[in-house]
Amino acid sequence: MNLSLPAILAQTALLLLLAPLLSGLIRNWKAKLQNRRGPRVWQPFFDLMKFWRKDMVISEHASWIFAATPYVMFVTALSAGLLAPMVTGQAPLGLFGGALALVGLLALGRFFLALGGLDPASPFGGMGSSREMTIAAMAEPAMMLAIFTLAIAAGSTSLSQIVLASQGPGWKFLDPSHALAFTAMFLVLLAETGRIPVDNPATHLELTMIHEAMLLEYSGRYLALIEWGASIKQLVLMTLLANVFFPIGLAPETTPAAFALGALYLAAKLLALAGAVVLVETCNAKLRLFRVPDLLSAAFVLAMLALVSTFLFK
Amino acid sequence: MNPPYAESASHLITLLASFMLVLQLLLAVQSMLVTNIRLFALQSLLLAGIAAVVGYAYGAWHVYVVALLTILGKVFFLPWLLERLVRQIKIEQEVRPFVNMPGSMLLCGALTVLAYVVARPITSLERLGSNTLAVAIALLLTGFFLMLNRRKAITQVLALLTMENGVMLAAIALTTYGMPLVVEIGIFFDVIIAVMVLGILVYRIRESFASMDVSKLNQLKW
Amino acid sequence: MILSPTPLLIVSLCGYALGALGGLLFLRREKLAAAFSFGVAALSALSGLLAGLLLLAGAPANPDGPLDLLPPLIPGITPLIPSLKLTVRLDALGAFFLVIVSLLGVAVSIYSLGYARGFFGRKNVGALGAFYNAMLLATALLFVADNLWVFLLAWELMALTAFCLVSFEHEKPETRRAGVLFFIMSHIDAGCVLLGFLLLFQASGDYSFGSLHNIGAAMSPGHRNAAFILFLLGFGIKAGVIPLHVWLPAAHPVAPSNVSALMSGVLIKAGIYGLTRVCFVFLGPPPLWWGVTILAAGTISAVLGVLYALMEHDLKRLLAYHSIENIGIILMGLGASLIFLCTGHPLLAALSLIAGMYHTINHASFKGLLFLGAGAVVHATRTRNMEEMGGLAKRMPETAFYFLIGAIAISALPPLNGFVSEWLTYQSLLQGFGVTESMWRLVFPLSGAMLALTGALAAACFVKAFGITFLAQPRSEHAAGAVEAAPAMRLGMAVLTAACVLLGLFPTAFVRQLDPLTQQLLGEQISRQLSLANGLALASLSAHPGTISTPGLVLTAVCLLPIPLVLWLMFARKARTRRGPAWACGQPGLTPQMEYTATGFSKPVRMIFKALFRPRRDVQREYDFSPYFATNIRFESHIEEVFVEQFYRPLRILILRVSRRVRALQAGSIHAYLLYIFVTLLLLLLFAL
Repeated sequence: MNLSLPAILAQTALLLLLAPLLSGLIRNWKAKLQNRRGPRVWQPFFDLMKFWRKDMVISEHASWIFAATPYVMFVTALSAGLLAPMVTGQAPLGLFGGALALVGLLALGRFFLALGGLDPASPFGGMGSSREMTIAAMAEPAMMLAIFTLAIAAGSTSLSQIVLASQGPGWKFLDPSHALAFTAMFLVLLAETGRIPVDNPATHLELTMIHEAMLLEYSGRYLALIEWGASIKQLVLMTLLANVFFPIGLAPETTPAAFALGALYLAAKLLALAGAVVLVETCNAKLRLFRVPDLLSAAFVLAMLALVSTFLFK
Repeated sequence: MNPPYAESASHLITLLASFMLVLQLLLAVQSMLVTNIRLFALQSLLLAGIAAVVGYAYGAWHVYVVALLTILGKVFFLPWLLERLVRQIKIEQEVRPFVNMPGSMLLCGALTVLAYVVARPITSLERLGSNTLAVAIALLLTGFFLMLNRRKAITQVLALLTMENGVMLAAIALTTYGMPLVVEIGIFFDVIIAVMVLGILVYRIRESFASMDVSKLNQLKW
Repeated sequence: MILSPTPLLIVSLCGYALGALGGLLFLRREKLAAAFSFGVAALSALSGLLAGLLLLAGAPANPDGPLDLLPPLIPGITPLIPSLKLTVRLDALGAFFLVIVSLLGVAVSIYSLGYARGFFGRKNVGALGAFYNAMLLATALLFVADNLWVFLLAWELMALTAFCLVSFEHEKPETRRAGVLFFIMSHIDAGCVLLGFLLLFQASGDYSFGSLHNIGAAMSPGHRNAAFILFLLGFGIKAGVIPLHVWLPAAHPVAPSNVSALMSGVLIKAGIYGLTRVCFVFLGPPPLWWGVTILAAGTISAVLGVLYALMEHDLKRLLAYHSIENIGIILMGLGASLIFLCTGHPLLAALSLIAGMYHTINHASFKGLLFLGAGAVVHATRTRNMEEMGGLAKRMPETAFYFLIGAIAISALPPLNGFVSEWLTYQSLLQGFGVTESMWRLVFPLSGAMLALTGALAAACFVKAFGITFLAQPRSEHAAGAVEAAPAMRLGMAVLTAACVLLGLFPTAFVRQLDPLTQQLLGEQISRQLSLANGLALASLSAHPGTISTPGLVLTAVCLLPIPLVLWLMFARKARTRRGPAWACGQPGLTPQMEYTATGFSKPVRMIFKALFRPRRDVQREYDFSPYFATNIRFESHIEEVFVEQFYRPLRILILRVSRRVRALQAGSIHAYLLYIFVTLLLLLLFAL
């Protein structure tokens, strides 16, 4: 496995530019589905530019952890993105890690974000940290079982290998284990990216916040980095879901033409997935905090069924 | 005796059966009665689909009749009957079950695994859709658990019906060309009458006790 | 040659003995006692570290066979009792554990040079130093024992010295209770281990470990299984496996922090060492249920350990429960290895064993680091209660940094060592699924899912531990007045931090050092297959392996860091940064009471797992004229510790009840006692007939 610099640069650029676009798209479509006009699709880019330029006000009690968190969040999200196959079947940095490393990097970002929530001594930050870490803990077993199911079918935790194994003949993606694992991972996606029914990203009531509560004290360029990092994380997870379960249209080699075609396929898959997310967000209400583990244990049981189906539906 | 299109038919049957199982799990945790009835209707539709695929693959016309009866009876008539009952009784939602939601989820998962273990020696038969025996047994077991876990009579009726779905799925899975038509029609009408009687009984219970909570009926002793 | 393992080992052992003696000699002169005993301990540990590393790197250890320690100690005894030998031998397994104890010994001894100053004038530092050295001596002896005598002697000595150390601050009733519990549990486990070894001795007839090699093949299955169960119980108590763990959360918090670090890093590893040696070397080919039992016990310990840790607000008790969790993870690796050994997959067995052993040394380093950090914090704030700490990151910046590294390592986050060993564990569990066709193979992915749960809960717990202790505002005056730890303490922590980072960034190099170990126990060396791209990446053992490269990830992070910096230079140069108060819904002045508490942080987990914890809460408010304006609110919250309540308490009540009945035998009258002697005599005569 050789590391090609153009592929790395191209994927980094894609991650940086596509992530805010995806967030904006989801927000716009959600509004349209709720009979509103909604913000423009490119609004997150303008928001990021605005945040970069602004002054920052930092809590007088915060320590260096507060300042380090945005950088850690941003860099871990980008690194995780470079470990995922986006346009081609090979992740640019696939040698450095597979599914487990990706999950670990995102967990590192979340760890620092939770610390950054506690640091300013604001009561809401602590609340957000506590809830976020608990929900992440509940989502982990389901995610790990789904990854295990895929890895067992592929014989490896390397994402390129998993994608390759999914590209088998015909009915592969209508296999019950695949369908069940996809459903489980979709529920985990909702939990990890903080979407309804787990968390409302658009709420302004502090007591209902989970992810936003940890960001209350951030402003200026720190907030820009964290928001960008969060949208990159969302893009990475959705790309993973799209490419691992529907590995159609992945470019076999890195010629520009194949790359462009692969990018088009990726865009189509992401749009479909975004549509599904928007639909779920609009048709459901946010769950009470103590009902979220119910949802995630449903994801766990689905993942377990997926695993059992791999060897029992033969 | 493998019929043509065996590969894709088998895949389709497997897919539909696993969705039936997922619906059953949803039934186990869902508490709104009307939604439960609709989930059951959807599950019966999938069962009819499986029967149709088996009929198509073997070219057996009477299996199509079974599918049609299932659609008419279990997808349209029975759900309509039950929904009408729910509207009359005006009770929309299930009360706190005995085992809470994540617990019942995990228990249903464990029962499913048990069903798979039990069904393994039999699934090696060369039959189309014989791998769905595990799902059938799982439907039976989880339906039984549902009956134990819930308090409202209507949910228990639904659980009974899902168990019957499981039995029918087993019949399709294990027998050649499905069961004889006479047997199928007999069972079908049996179920319809049973549900109508149960419906009347539930209404009566509601009238006498002002509640459908079956755990309040505890005088079944000397 | 002085630089060969055996002389270095002898130097190390003598050094510890010297340190113990010195501590006792200089009892009156505290500064000298502390400096001498801990300094000598550090040097002896360094010597032991070199011995172990040299052996693992390939130096030949025992050219003349095992070394008998008895003649030098008591000259002239050999002709009298020829069968009494105290032999020691350094082999790969022993050397690895010696490396662990020595690494920790070096760091903790350096730390103790500063930490002991906290006891000057209050307590007997010389005694602390003496027992400290004695415990290190006992542990080192345990790992190099080649003979039943030495092993059991070292085991007992370790337990006794640990008891003395745990009860160091015996003026507190909590400490006394913990010490007694530790003493009782240690003796139960010594008894089990002794019985197990007696079963082995019965089959071999000789005390030396060499004769016990693979003795299980010569024993009947009933005896073998009984021996396994006895060893599992005995070593399990020492290791802290649930449900045998009850002494751990009691003893670790009350001991002085350097002792806690050593206990957590080394004492409980003695249980793992014992289990490894017994299962892989002595008992022969294992049946399937041994591996499955250990895997299941490991999984349960891991999950329950971390759940109880989340509920704690005593910093050291929290760390003690995490030790239970990590022992669970180590046991998962060991159990998987035994299962692979049984199904005939030696390569996979080697992978699991490497995962387990790697986690052992990782745990020693990050747990030791965390306990040392906790010791510094507890020393500075005069309390173990996290609810009274806070804001220490600004007042103790170095300690905070080291504790953060330890917290990241124990939460299994990349790129540190905890992540690498858990990655290896996941890989071995993954490949376990394809190994057998029976339904038992579901246990592998389910254990993997539970491992993921514990990892995530551990991360949550350490967000709480680090966040509440070091971040935000100080919640008490002592915390507000805390000062940075002494330089010696910081140096000790730095050593372990370096160990965590190095073990995380260079896994392939470390795995190569484990080759002699897997060669000795399983006859396989797989480090070549585990390393890719010239050692840059660690790979799993399959046809298309999954890979991980921690140095690669760090490099990636470093290369990506310019992106935000460039953007900052381009857009944010004119932006100013001000300091101001945090948002509190418009309330003026944010007080420490408005911060999140440790108990509050873990409330969601407490509610989700209510069935396990059975929380009870009690709120009482006092008010003058209206309940909405309370003058005083009293809040009490309890959780039930399942094992203590449901198992140990009824057991203790039963034992006491039976003892009371038996006490009736002690009638107090001479005639009764004469009657007992007479009856015994009659019975013996009858029996002899």
